[in-house]
Amino acid sequence: MDPVENGTKISIRKVSKIFSGKQGEVTALRELSLDVNEGEFVVIVGASGCGKTTLLNLVAGFDAPTRGRILLDGEPVTGITPECGMIFQHYALFPWKTVQANVEFGLKMKRMPRSERRNRAAKFIDMVGLNGFETTYPHHLSGGMKQRVSIARSLANNPKVMLLDEPFAALDAMTRQVLQEQLVRIYEKHRKTILFITHSIDEALLLSSRIVVMTARPGRIAQEIVNDLPYPRNADVQLSNRFMEIKRTIWESVQAEVMKSMEVETDQR
Amino acid sequence: MKDHQTGKSLIIGIASLLVFLTIWELVCRKGLIEPLFLPAPSKVLSRAVKMIDNGQLIAHTLASTRRVMVGFMVSSLVAIPFGIFLGSFGFFRAVFDPFISLLRPLPSMSWIPLSLLWLGITETQKYAIVFMGSFAPSLLYIIEATKNIDPLLIRAARNLGASRVDVMREVILPGSLPQIIAGLKVMLGIAWTCIISAELVAARQGLGFMIMNGKEYFQTDTVLLGMVMISITVLIIDVIFRRFERRLLPWTQ
Ligand SMILES: Nc1ncnc2c1ncn2[C@@H]1O[C@H](COP(=O)(O)OP(=O)(O)O)[C@@H](O)[C@H]1O
Ligand SMILES: [Mg+2]
Repeated sequence: MDPVENGTKISIRKVSKIFSGKQGEVTALRELSLDVNEGEFVVIVGASGCGKTTLLNLVAGFDAPTRGRILLDGEPVTGITPECGMIFQHYALFPWKTVQANVEFGLKMKRMPRSERRNRAAKFIDMVGLNGFETTYPHHLSGGMKQRVSIARSLANNPKVMLLDEPFAALDAMTRQVLQEQLVRIYEKHRKTILFITHSIDEALLLSSRIVVMTARPGRIAQEIVNDLPYPRNADVQLSNRFMEIKRTIWESVQAEVMKSMEVETDQR
Repeated sequence: MKDHQTGKSLIIGIASLLVFLTIWELVCRKGLIEPLFLPAPSKVLSRAVKMIDNGQLIAHTLASTRRVMVGFMVSSLVAIPFGIFLGSFGFFRAVFDPFISLLRPLPSMSWIPLSLLWLGITETQKYAIVFMGSFAPSLLYIIEATKNIDPLLIRAARNLGASRVDVMREVILPGSLPQIIAGLKVMLGIAWTCIISAELVAARQGLGFMIMNGKEYFQTDTVLLGMVMISITVLIIDVIFRRFERRLLPWTQ
């Protein structure tokens, strides 16, 4: 077995991903390495198209790396694993299931008895503040409510790791802030290992315990910053001096990468 | 406002129908058309009263309806799970594709001689005709419906611990159900075509038989009555089917 440092939850080792399509090969990730420790909230920031989604899909086992390996608790990821609960930008709720049935889904797949399922789902529906909407179909919910259902659905399944792919990007600013604070509270309470993707530096700072900046495509890690803003956190943290300080550091390296990715695009023309 | 609109068009529709029937009636009474060629609506109505009295009309209608329902149910109950299965596994789709492609263009009528040879003029033969006429097209509708499922939902389900069989039952079936039902509604119409043709050729009961028998005895009013009954029955079944659809697809409201 590979030696894994104590407390390392996810170990991404020299992972490359090459897509071959009609227009030739695209190297989405090149020799990317990253370790995520148990109980860490790692936020990955990077320009769009730099390979963030690709990386998350590899961790979730939706796709396999072209080279390199990904270990979860020291074991290689070989297929789709429910231990890494994924939260998608566009919610991916089942339209034909009520809020309750959506949240119960993972438990039903585990063949948990109905009454037990119901109780457990109720707990998580309550946690995301959706009591009273149990029998509503997703179609009637706002974007923010849908994403809360999706978070409850994932948490009810008790994954070891939560993977979130720009989950709040499609929401309006007010709703986004409410959900960010809710996620921080859930993290403070449950200390799940979280890998979260965003292109918003403010969001990264508000949520993370560590920030990873990715380079322009092919994606690698440009910079890692430990975010030492104190918990418990809320939106007010954005007014502190330390917040501005860290933001400046990250902004410089992100800016450099964004410029590079724009150059790549103009080169290709 | 909208109710008012539909109410209005309903009244116009009924008026239009009444005007048409009145003209038809008058033309027949003036003797402008040979009664054997086209009997007056009142003649068709009195034939209906007579046949309701002796119980024949109901018996023929129920016979055809039962045949359509049994054949169609069996065909759907086989086609739905099989279609979901083929829609989920490309390999098996490829295995069965040549058979489906060859069966689909065959009109149900072309099965009548073989089915009579194999099964005789029996109820089973009628069910078989409905089945053969609706199975292959239903299967294709269902396979097509499974293709429109958002792959993200399949991913999400697998990520929550669903096996491939779970995905078929929990995602692919409900996700394609609205389209499957739309397809089955079309197939139900085709099932009626199948059964009437089968009854026209060989039967001792049913609306198709009633029409053919009416023609043999030069009772054109019976022929027309049979045709009207087919329309009315299909319309009624359509309304029932729509009720059923609303129950099955509560999330689409
Ligand atoms: N399935 C695929 N086939 C071909 N190219 C892909 C595929 N998925 C992603 N890519 C390419 O890989 C790069 C990274 O994509 P992605 O991981 O979605 O970026 P991000 O999430 O950071 O915006 C993009 O250039 C994209 O076009
Ligand atoms: Mg992305």
